[in-house]
Amino acid sequence: MTDPRQPQGAGLSEAQAIEQAKQGDAEAFEFLYNLHKRRVYSLCLRMTANTAEAEDLTQEAFLQLFRKIGTFRGESAFSTWLHRMAVNVVLMHLRKKGLPVVSLEEATEGDEDTPKKDFGADDPVLSGSVDRLRLQHAVDQLPPGYRSIFVLHDVEGYEHNEIATMVGCSIGNSKSQLHKARMKLREFLKASRAEKAGKP
Amino acid sequence: MTCAEFQRELPEYMEEGGNAELQAHLKSCSDCSGLVTSLETIVREARELQASEEPSPRVWNSIEIILRQEKLIREPAPSGRRSILPSLRQRWGAMAWLVPTAAALLVGAGIALYQQRPNGGRMAKTTTPAAATTVANGDASDEQLLQEVSVRAPLMRAAYESNLRDVNNYIRDAQDSVNANPNDEEAQQALMDAYGQKSMIYEMALDRSLP
Repeated sequence: MTDPRQPQGAGLSEAQAIEQAKQGDAEAFEFLYNLHKRRVYSLCLRMTANTAEAEDLTQEAFLQLFRKIGTFRGESAFSTWLHRMAVNVVLMHLRKKGLPVVSLEEATEGDEDTPKKDFGADDPVLSGSVDRLRLQHAVDQLPPGYRSIFVLHDVEGYEHNEIATMVGCSIGNSKSQLHKARMKLREFLKASRAEKAGKP
Repeated sequence: MTCAEFQRELPEYMEEGGNAELQAHLKSCSDCSGLVTSLETIVREARELQASEEPSPRVWNSIEIILRQEKLIREPAPSGRRSILPSLRQRWGAMAWLVPTAAALLVGAGIALYQQRPNGGRMAKTTTPAAATTVANGDASDEQLLQEVSVRAPLMRAAYESNLRDVNNYIRDAQDSVNANPNDEEAQQALMDAYGQKSMIYEMALDRSLP
């Protein structure tokens, strides 16, 4: 598998593209966009569960990036910089819409939940693999607060301390919501499996 | 250890792995081990959602237009082509929509006069059927634009022709709105934007042909 950030034939490397974009080169901007568009768009789509909003947010994230590209000095990875910017754009959008990036109600659910004895009784399908579309659909059904934490941690790979800083919650809260998000997903996936099995 | 006790420890187990007591319970309890396996599957498969989707081309087109409007994209070296967009609106304010309309009329009139001259029909004779269709959808100046793109950026011709057809439809709709409500500023803006897009797709077609 080739690394897209390395020079490809007569093409640009990411570092070259960054320098050329600073000079206003249209091809360099497009190169950087093509290099990162899938990850940024997927992040926006997973966080919002809405394609139109995800496209608008992708556009906004890249515009913010390109407007500030002159200040990029390479101390951190360009992709890290961009993805953090995209996360901030999405979180800001969710806050403006009044959607909780961390669900307070869900976060305060304590450990007093009665443990369910049947939780792992029959998971043969989940023990193998989960169809991507089903998982995607299940993530879309999560409450926004759970969804944000799950996407940031399990999909995007951020650590709890980073998530806590980004969304403005405690590390414990982030861990708690992540666990509840995973449990919800498992419920959705089991329900989806049962529904599929019930179809003629 | 009971299943309830194990479940209380489950978040930490998933984060950092379990101690000997948790591991022992897992080995002896199929329910809890099934649950852990399910959650591990979800965690593993979640990574597959990263970069799994592709945005529509509309996103880059919008970004590129804004970057050009904000002059973050450096325009290529002067080649005789100039955008009709810059400062037009600043200079003409609400009447700016008249400028491209007038320009289009002037270009159209010029071409009509040119074609009436004895040797003026040569260009028309070289027009391809596709170009003729475009002219039918737009105006006479489209034929010239299409010819120029065909010569200077032959690989971009098909895409440009398609974009030109779309933008002509957009212009026609916007013009209808302005005709129906001459004082409607939104309709005027839409018409202005439509002509701006027409200029933009022409410039983009030629830019893409640069080495």
